[in-house]
Parts: sequence; structure tokens; C-alpha cells
Amino acid sequence: MRTLNRFLIRLRNLVTGRRGDQRLREELEEHAALQTEENIRAGMHPEEARRRAQLKLGGVESVREQYHAEEGLPLVEHLICDLRFGLRQLKKSPGFAATAVLTLSLGIGGVTAVFSVVYAVLLRPLPYPQASRLVVLHEAMAHFGGAANLSAPDVPVYQRNSHAFTAVAGFIGEGYDVTGAGEPFRADAERVSAQMFPVLGVAPLLGRRFTRQEDENSASVAVISYSLWKERFGGSQHVLGRTIDLDLRPYTIIGVMPRGFETPSGLGAIAAHDLWVPLSLTPTELKNEANDLDYGAVARLKAGVTMAQAQQDAERVLKIIQAKVPEAHLSISLAGLKKQTVQDARPLLRTLLGAVVLILLIACANLANLLLVRAAGRRREFGMRMALGAARKTILRQLLMESLLLSTAGGVAGLGMAAAAVHWAGAVLPGSLPRLGAIAIDWPVALLASGLVGATGVACGLAPALASAKADVLDSLREGGQSTGQGRSQHRLRSALVVGEMALALLLLVGAGLLLRSFARMMETNPGFRPERTVTASVALPKQAYPTQEKVDEFFRNLGARLQELPGVTEVGFGSNIPVVGRNSSRLFAAQDYVRRPGESFSIASNYLTTGEYFRALKIPLIEGRYFSAADDAVGAPLVVIVSQSLAKRYFAGRDPIGMHIKVGPNYQYRMPPMQVVGVVGDVSDNPVGGKQDFEMYEPLSQLAADLGPMGALIGTKGNMHAVVRTTGDPQALEGELRRVVHQANPTLAVTDVQTMEEVMSSTEAPRRFNTWILTSFAAIALGLAMLGIYGVLAYAVTERTREIAIRMALGATRGEVERRTLGGAMALGLMGVGVGLAASVALTRYLASLLYEVKPLDGLTLAGAVVVLLACAATAALLPARRAASVDPMQALRSE
Amino acid sequence: MEMWHSPVGSQKSKEAVLYSMKSKKDVQPGTLALMVLKTLDVLGPLHGYGIARRIEQISGDQLFVNQGTLYPVLLRLEQEGAVESDWGPSQNNRRARFYRLTRAGRKLLETEKRDWELTAAIIARFFEVKAEDLA
Repeated sequence: MRTLNRFLIRLRNLVTGRRGDQRLREELEEHAALQTEENIRAGMHPEEARRRAQLKLGGVESVREQYHAEEGLPLVEHLICDLRFGLRQLKKSPGFAATAVLTLSLGIGGVTAVFSVVYAVLLRPLPYPQASRLVVLHEAMAHFGGAANLSAPDVPVYQRNSHAFTAVAGFIGEGYDVTGAGEPFRADAERVSAQMFPVLGVAPLLGRRFTRQEDENSASVAVISYSLWKERFGGSQHVLGRTIDLDLRPYTIIGVMPRGFETPSGLGAIAAHDLWVPLSLTPTELKNEANDLDYGAVARLKAGVTMAQAQQDAERVLKIIQAKVPEAHLSISLAGLKKQTVQDARPLLRTLLGAVVLILLIACANLANLLLVRAAGRRREFGMRMALGAARKTILRQLLMESLLLSTAGGVAGLGMAAAAVHWAGAVLPGSLPRLGAIAIDWPVALLASGLVGATGVACGLAPALASAKADVLDSLREGGQSTGQGRSQHRLRSALVVGEMALALLLLVGAGLLLRSFARMMETNPGFRPERTVTASVALPKQAYPTQEKVDEFFRNLGARLQELPGVTEVGFGSNIPVVGRNSSRLFAAQDYVRRPGESFSIASNYLTTGEYFRALKIPLIEGRYFSAADDAVGAPLVVIVSQSLAKRYFAGRDPIGMHIKVGPNYQYRMPPMQVVGVVGDVSDNPVGGKQDFEMYEPLSQLAADLGPMGALIGTKGNMHAVVRTTGDPQALEGELRRVVHQANPTLAVTDVQTMEEVMSSTEAPRRFNTWILTSFAAIALGLAMLGIYGVLAYAVTERTREIAIRMALGATRGEVERRTLGGAMALGLMGVGVGLAASVALTRYLASLLYEVKPLDGLTLAGAVVVLLACAATAALLPARRAASVDPMQALRSE
Repeated sequence: MEMWHSPVGSQKSKEAVLYSMKSKKDVQPGTLALMVLKTLDVLGPLHGYGIARRIEQISGDQLFVNQGTLYPVLLRLEQEGAVESDWGPSQNNRRARFYRLTRAGRKLLETEKRDWELTAAIIARFFEVKAEDLA
């Protein structure tokens, strides 16, 4: 209490600048006067009495200092003093200060921003309790693709027979037209097992989850999301028990999930949904053995069960399934939900993190360089100050303050940059990154980065000062702070730093170059269709209103005719899938007379149900045979199919595919109706990022039920189609028209995803565009920093060697020679940097491979380009110092020394 | 100038050493405050010179106090709330600052006194101890 009181008083004195000098002086004078009088009384001569009194009182200055120290807070006062001094010093060299702060902020800001994203996406735990115990089950077929989800009938098999999990929950995404909750809308829903909520370990915020009985009995109950509850029901407690219609079927709302609740979704992602209904697999779904590996399964490991044990358990269960469909060559694998969620994002984020760490290193090297140069330049100043009696401690304290000032300014600027970048990241980062919503500045990292750069600053600022402080004061003065052995070793250190910087910059340049080349390659790739001047939209017909195939066909025929009448429209078509959008539908097929290779699994193709002028609207070229015609839609028309070029090559090798037959199903012996191949069209490569060429097969929508034979009921009538409209005019202008026409045809329909085909395409390019753009800007920053570094070193070397240059010139060296020599020095550093950088590139670029498209990690052109750019930049940075060296006036330089 | 730089407890200049002579003892740091408090306790309000003289007298001229150092100590005690001060007339009707012990100061003195006695007692026991006592 006493101490606190005292501290407060001292603080107040410090802040208000209050000083009791007057009082002290008066007290001391009085003291001396009283003592003098007493001395006189004791018989001393007045003169002597005063002297003795003063002597006894002690040094007035020293007392005053002590008094003042007690009055305020001397430590703080010194700090403020140093701070002022530091600011003055920095103000004297604004160029240095600005460069240092910029360098620091780039390093700190970059690392913090990128790591914040990495943390949010990769490292932060999933929003479930003990999320590390959550696993996802994947089935895969031999010789085909990677791990996929499960087929519907397998979900209950694992649920019933697994011993390793507390429960297994199945799920599949579903879209519903929602009515009875305000304006009708399309809900992004998910059908999930009753076990989903307990497996994830998340309880409803309100109401209850559905029970197993409800799941098994296909009860019409729904659990809604927090945001749906807030938006559509105003967050009312009375939402429970209310009824909403999903595709015109009434469902009772029984629960509301907490805010931000996400469920596993699709392959390798967790996502928010509007609502959840029981999975309740239908009898037709359950019949669909080893087909459509579309049903996700997530499970929680029982306590004490390891991943390996769970895998064994799952393999045991798989044997039950394999007994039923041996030709599927199924395998099962488990993956941690977390690992799986972030898998796809990993290469990109690793690259970004790597790039940004390189930038941080360059920033550190640059800062070190700047401070070394500055400190070397100030050796004379230090020497002078020490000669005038400054304590070594004081000088160090002041330097420390200067470094801290720089670091703080850089840190603050860096954090500002990071905050801006993170804020803006939400908008720019590719939507394919999982868990983007969770990004926020990661403070531990911000502190770490600031600490790292700050430490660099302090170390580089102090080390030379310490060294020069140790050196003989006279020596540093006599030599004018130049050309001592210490100077040479410092020069070597600085050169090494520049070489390092150049190497790192080259590495980033190579990385950026590779991505740029990939991007260019991708843009050159022929997607197999012409996206320009086409508009797409997706239309979903509710099953209740369009129960039969005829009704569906009729609707699309009608809609096609209406769209065709729009001015400028040349072709109109519909497809169950269009390139990029809704790509994930694929099916088993069997080609006539095709003999599987040993061990080969099912044949799978992306399947497209089309109606109207689908091929002409997208300009997918006909290679052989014919497109579909109106005759194919006639009742009882022979079943026909169009296949892609690569499918024809692979499965009808050496034969004319036209006239051959294809069946839907696992093998040709399956009792399915054969479809005759009537045409071969070009391959559609809509997603070059994936790299792998898929096969495509097209069927007329009108023949859907007949094609599938006994399985027709499962796929249904395909009321969800994508319209493709080609126009001679501006496709964007057509978007409103398209909407209007659909509403004319049926005002209750929801038209979604209205966009031009080019927009659709650019959405696939977006992640790559982003990768390319960001790595290029990183490379540019790195290059800038490296140029700054090389400039700094050369500029200082020139100043340092003015005398030497002058002597050379006096002895007959021409200005050209001097300039060449300086440039040569820069080139030597540059070349060394190139050497190290190339070695590093060879070692590291292979980690970029997964982000590249048709470019090898060691692409010669890219490497050469990066080297040229780097050397050109080094030369540019060296030009100014070289000019300055060449313009040295020998007479003046020698005299001024 | 040198002789003015001789704060208590620090290295003294030659002249200061001469003045202090060998018989006099430096004040140990921290004890000066205790002496001030006790002086004010016994004698009531005093000005700085008065306190210095009493301390000299009480210590029997055996202590060397660089009297100026008294004032920072007084300031410190005042900040801590142990003493209060006010201007008042000195013996010859000039102005002097008078210091007075507060209630908090009295309490502080009590505590310090007890601590000091305890320390002294312990040290005393160490000096009295003989080898056979510990056998």
C-alpha cells in the first residue's frame, strides 16, 4: 500500500513534471545557515563556519540528484530520454528508418497473415469434442480413382457389424424446395443417420435430435440450423413442432442446432447446412449394390481403439460386402476426419507458408544488412562519444532503444497489414479452402514473428556497436571508422547476407514462374467445348408436380421452345450435368465385347442426360456418327448413347464404336437393356486441375427410365437439369430473360446458379489464379527486398571505398573501369546467389508439383527466366552505386580525407 | 568539486574521508530513515537541520552523515505517508520546513523497531555463542 501510494505520487510528479527544486533549495539554504550560526556560536570565524557548514551538508548537486530521483521515476525518465534520442537519430536518416520499418512490416505482416489462414484451415481443431477420434470411412474400387464414399447399402452393414466405433453415421447431401417458412427457397440440406449428432458429440441448442426409430421409419422430422432459425423463424422458441414443406412434403421441426454447427459433407469437407433430416435409406437405395459411392460415413472410435484396429475391423466388415459383389474389388480405408478435411488445402497452404517464411528470412537478412551498414557507418560517432566520456552502457542502451523503436514501428505496421490481409482474405481466398469462416489473426504467431524480427533487429543493431565499443576508442577515431580488419569481416558478412537474399528470392521467383507457366498452360488447354456466349441456369422440378418421365420431358421441351424464341438465341439444350457444375455424377457401365484386364474393376464414366441441342449449345464437336435427334425421344425408340472419344478408344479399341452397345451396370451380363452407340464426341476436360481424363457418356433424358431398366425408379425422372443457352449477343444480358421465361413456364420454380459459362469456367480457375497471383506477389516482394539489399551493400561499399576509388582514378583508371568494377561486384554477388538459389530450387520445387499443371518442377525455361530476372534486378540495383563510384572526383575525395 | 560527490555508503573522495576521520561510522543504508522516524517520535516536529543535529547528538558524534542526504530520505518518508511537512518559523524567524510524524509513521516505526530488535537479538546470539555450547 505504502509502495503503491509512493509510486502513484512519483508517477504524478513524472507526468506533471512537478519538481520540488525550490523547496529543496530553500531547505538546504536554511540548513546551511543554521549550521553556520551554530558554528559561529561555537567560536569559529564566519568564513570558516560557512565552509564547515557546507562541507557537512555535502554536495548540493548530488543531493539534488538523489532528491530528484526520489521524487520521480528515474528509470522511466532515462527511457524517455533514450526514446527521444532514438527518434531524433531515426529522423536524421528517414530513408533508413522507412526501409527498415517497411522490411520489418512485410516480414511480420506476411507471416502473420498467412499463418493465420494456415492455422484456421489446417491446425485449428474441428468444432467437435475429441475430434481426433472421428474418422471417415472410404470405399475404393481397384484400378479406379481414389478413395470415394460408400455405396448406400453398405452404410447399414458397417453400422450393424463394426465393433471399433461407438457408432457409424451415414450422410448424403440433398437439396429441397422449402415452402411454409416465408418466401420459398432452395435449402442446402443433408440426410443424416440418427447417430450423426451423438457421433459428432454436438447436442441441439433447442429441442431434440431425431431418434433411431424415426430414422428407420422415415419419419418426417427436421433439425434446422441456427441461421435458418434466426432468418426464417426470428429465433422464436415456438419453432419446435412447426411444420415446413420440403419438396411439398410436410416435415415437423424438432430441433435447432447451435450456431456455426457443421457436419461432414461430400468428400473431405465439413460444411454448414440449412437443415438435417433422417437418412432413412429407401428400399431402392438399398438395392443399389456397389454403385454410386456417394454416401458418406463418419464414425467415432471407441475409447482405447487405435486407428489400425479400427481399420482391421472395417476390413472384416468389408468381407461381408465383398461376398455379395466380388467383382467390385472393393477396399475400405479409414481417414481421420480432420486430416481428410484439410487434405486438399495442404499443398497450397504449405507453399504459401514456405513462401512467406522465405520472405521473413529475406526481411531478416535485409534488416541485418541495413543495421550493419548503419552501425559500421556510426563507429566514428561511437568512438567520439566514448572519448567524450559516454559510458558504454549508455551507448548500448540508446542503440537498443533505437532498434526497439524500429521493431515496434515495424511490428505495428506489420500487424496492421496482417489484419487488412486477413480481413480481405475471406473475399479472395479460393472458396475450395475448408473452414474459411474461422480465419482470424493468430496472436501467438504475430508475437512470434514480431519477436523473431525484433530479435534480428536488436542483434544486428547491437553486435556491431558492441564490437566497436570494445575496440580502441582512439583506433576508431584515427581510422575514421574505416578499413580496419573488422570492417572487412563485416563486409564479408554483409555480402553473405546479400547472397542469401538473392538465393531466396530466386527460389520464390522460380516458384512463381512455375505457377505462372502452369496457369498459362491451363488457359491454353482446350476444354473440349466453347464456353463463350453461353448462359447456364439450374432448374429443379419438384417430384410431386412432375412425377413421370413424360411430364419432365414435356416441361423441358416446352421450356426449350420458349427459350429458343428469345432474340439472339441460337441453341438451347439441357443436361443433368454440365462441365464443372454437378460434375460428380458418375456411373458404372459395361461395354459390349470388352474384356477386363486381370484385377481390373468396374468401368466408370461421368454420365450426362441431355435433351434439346445440348452438344450444339456447348459446341462439343462430333467426331463420328450423329448427335441425338427428336426421333430418339419418340416412344419406343431404340435406346441410344453417345460416348466421348477417350471412352471409345479405351473400350472399343480397334473397332468402330458406332453400332456397338453399352449397358449401365457392373458387367455386360447384367440384365440391363443395351444401348447402341450412335455418336462419338470430343472429350470434355472441364477441370484440368484434376489432371486425370475421365470418360463421358451421354443419354437422351427421355430414355432415362428405359436405360436403367429395373433401376429406373432409383434415379427417378431427373427433374434437376442445367439449361445451356447459346446466343449471338451478350450472354449476361440473357440472364434476366432466362429467369423470366422459366417463371412463365412455371412460376413456382426456383431458378438457381444463373451465370455465363465463362463465369462457371473461371470459378475452377479461381484457386489457381489465386495461387499464381499470391506467389507472384510474394516473389515480387522478395525481389524488391533483395534489390534493396544489394543496393545497400554496394552503396555502402562505394562510400567506404571512395578514397580507394579516388586513388585508382588518380593512377589512371577510367570512369568506365570503375563503373564496370562496381557492377562486376554486384554481378558476382548475384551469380553466387543464383548458384545457391538454383541448388535450393532443385531440392525444393518438387513440393510444388501438386499445384502445377503440365509443367515439370524443374522446367528449364522457368529456371532460366528466373535467373535472368534476378540478375537484371541485381544489375539495376547496382547501377546507382556504380554511377556514384564512377563520378568520384579524385582530387576532392583525396583532399577531404 | 570532487568533495561534493560523496553520497552515503558510496566510495568517498579523499577529502571526505579526511573529514570523517576513522573514528566515525558510515550510516548503513536504510537505517537513516529509522533514525529520522525515532527522532521525530521522541522530539516532535523538527526541521531538517534539527533532525540532523539530534541524530548527531544521539549517536554521540560517532556517525558520519552527509547531512544533505537527509532530505531525499525525508521526501521518501513523506511520499510514503510516514511524515508530514509544513513551513514554519525557525529559531531566527526565517522560514524552515518542519517535519512531523503521522500515525502511519508511528506504526511504521513500531514495525521497523521490532524488526531491528529481532535482527539485533539474532546477531547478538551469534556473537555470544561458544564452541562448547554447540557440542
